[in-house]
Amino acid sequence: MSDTPTPDNSKNLQEDALSEDKLAEIRTLIIGPEQAQLGKLQERLDNSEMLAKDVSRALPKAVILRASQDKKFVTALTPTIEEVLKSSIKRDPKTLVSALFPVMGPAIRKAVTETLRIMLQSLNQALEKSLSWDGLKWRLEAIRTGKSFAEVVILQSLLYRVEQIFLIHKETGLLLQHVVGEDIAFQDADMVSGMLTAIQDFVHDSFDAQSEETIETIQMGERTVWVTQGTEVVLAAAIRGTAPEVLRSVFQEALENTLLEQGEALESFDGDTVPFEKSRYLLEACLQARYKTKKQKSSPFLWVLLGIIIIAFGTWGFFSVRNHLRWSDYLKKIDTERGIVVTDTGKRDGQYFISGLRDPLAVDPVTLLRGSKLDSEKVISYWESYYSLHPDFIVLRAKKILRPPETVSLELKDSVLYATGQASHQWIAQARYLAQFIPGITEIRGNDLSDIDLKKLITSKDWIENQSLRFTGGSTRLMAGQSDTLCALVKEIKEFQDIARLLDKHFYIEIRGHTDNTGAEERNLLLSRERAEIIRFALIEEGLKVINYKTTGVSSREPLRKDATEKDREYNRRVSFNITLADIPTTEGN
Amino acid sequence: MIQKKICMVGAFAVGKTSLVTRFVQSIFSDKYLTTVGVKIDKKPIKIGDVDVTLVLWDLAGEDELSKMRMSYMRGASGYLLVVDGTRPTTLDTAINLQKKVDEFFGKEVPFVLLLNKNDLTSEWCLGDAEIEELAGKRWTAIKTSAKTGEGIEKAFLTLTQMIVGE
Repeated sequence: MSDTPTPDNSKNLQEDALSEDKLAEIRTLIIGPEQAQLGKLQERLDNSEMLAKDVSRALPKAVILRASQDKKFVTALTPTIEEVLKSSIKRDPKTLVSALFPVMGPAIRKAVTETLRIMLQSLNQALEKSLSWDGLKWRLEAIRTGKSFAEVVILQSLLYRVEQIFLIHKETGLLLQHVVGEDIAFQDADMVSGMLTAIQDFVHDSFDAQSEETIETIQMGERTVWVTQGTEVVLAAAIRGTAPEVLRSVFQEALENTLLEQGEALESFDGDTVPFEKSRYLLEACLQARYKTKKQKSSPFLWVLLGIIIIAFGTWGFFSVRNHLRWSDYLKKIDTERGIVVTDTGKRDGQYFISGLRDPLAVDPVTLLRGSKLDSEKVISYWESYYSLHPDFIVLRAKKILRPPETVSLELKDSVLYATGQASHQWIAQARYLAQFIPGITEIRGNDLSDIDLKKLITSKDWIENQSLRFTGGSTRLMAGQSDTLCALVKEIKEFQDIARLLDKHFYIEIRGHTDNTGAEERNLLLSRERAEIIRFALIEEGLKVINYKTTGVSSREPLRKDATEKDREYNRRVSFNITLADIPTTEGN
Repeated sequence: MIQKKICMVGAFAVGKTSLVTRFVQSIFSDKYLTTVGVKIDKKPIKIGDVDVTLVLWDLAGEDELSKMRMSYMRGASGYLLVVDGTRPTTLDTAINLQKKVDEFFGKEVPFVLLLNKNDLTSEWCLGDAEIEELAGKRWTAIKTSAKTGEGIEKAFLTLTQMIVGE
């Protein structure tokens, strides 16, 4: 074939070109505007700047829309954001540190507080359980089973707890990832994972189940294994207790997120489990637990404690009331006592106190206190001394001060102390003197009070005046036996003088000489004087002081008897005594 | 860490379980073999610098009465095919099993043939001809004894190498 165009060919070509142009024109006419639009769209798609602008307009809305649907967007973004953060920290850690600084402080504080709170809570729980009946039971169980007490407590107060999570490769039964709760004993997870798969296969085969049908739950006592099936993996959760169904969705979500994260690793899985370490956090989130809320049931120990408290309060109350009653009785009693004036009473720092005035002669409050059975150590008393002006107390006080002899009785009337009976002259004088100093007594009257000493003085005077010393006839010689009388006289006169001195009385003793009526008067007068003198000397000789003595001779003018017989004359030859007391007082008290 | 599922298969009473008992970590009792038909053990092994954990599925032996559950083989990277050297029929069973396994997987799966009970020399029945025939099939055969422990470590090592070196 030749390339040179023939005239026929050229004609054909021209026609073709013409029809092509026409077609183009027709095309332009029909789809011209759309074509232009398509061109523009193509341009926008090719132009990265324009495309970025378009996407940026829709991006925020798109993000919100996707995020509201599920968590896949978050899961998809997580690795990128992690990379961004890593790169940022590598480049300049300060930027992130400054950004996180305001958050980290409170976060750390919160974490510390939370840890402390949990610690305290568990301590409280442990303490509470330690003291209760349950606690005792569980402690025995701990000893019996060899578990720690804490473990037994946790198990007993558990509602449910996800203890282990197995992420198992469905095809091989190999364990991809395994997470365990704290303090949980577990068997070799690799073997358990294999056996779990084997059992699933066994059940599946044994009951000729449809291939989609799988084991969802394995139950043994309080333990359950929940199996969540994924396309390539199985998530098996070992749970203790009764878990709520809602937990299945937690496992489902964890499984989905793992599949999303580990899609590639699962596709090319050849026994290497290292890449799955990255998804560990998703499984750890499944280790949830819930414990029984504290029952309001109180322990018997609490009741015992309450009982003890009630008994203690009861006893305290009883003693308190009893003490109060005794205190009231004591106050009443003390109130009726004379010579005691209570000014203040009360209770301070668990002790009673009482204060007031007390006459020293009043009853001792301590004695009353002893009588009231109150613990004297619990009562503080403060008594100020005072003199009570109650008549009884005035008399008592007068008795105490005056110390009257038993023969005297005292009585008070209108502030006047009346003394009756007998008393020594000295006491009477002293009483008169002291009475003026006794509060409540204006004077002492002793109208009915006789002076014993004065009485004695009178008696003595009378006795002396009744005595006579007889003489032999016509001489100054005493008759035989008269010396005894003289002795008695001397003794009496001495006593008389003493009493008179005591009573502060002045006295004159007149020694009168007498004769009988025989013989001459002159001679008798002389003889009588001599006889008086003789006796005066005799008295002096006997040791008497004869300062106020006077001797008189009255011859036979004052015969004792009529001189009829010798016997009568014998009586008349004598010496007699005449005593004069100066200012003899009456027995009147004044 | 690399994990591999391998199975122990063979006729009934060829000594599969006894063979590995002393060489593996185990938590399950033998009763699983008679109940579930499988018992899982674990065997850590080191190939060069690589740590490999073999998860060993000890399958209940096959005999006239019971067939081995093939579903347990799923996902296995390889298997130990055990024969009792004192009972020639067990070799036939092993040959059949190997075929069935290949059929199940639809491909050739690495395995090592263990000629067990090698300590019972007086009762040994496998002739060299039979062994050579197997060698002709490019089977790897190792003589083992559960009693003396002979060849067991080697068997695990050989199989692991075959799997990892695939």
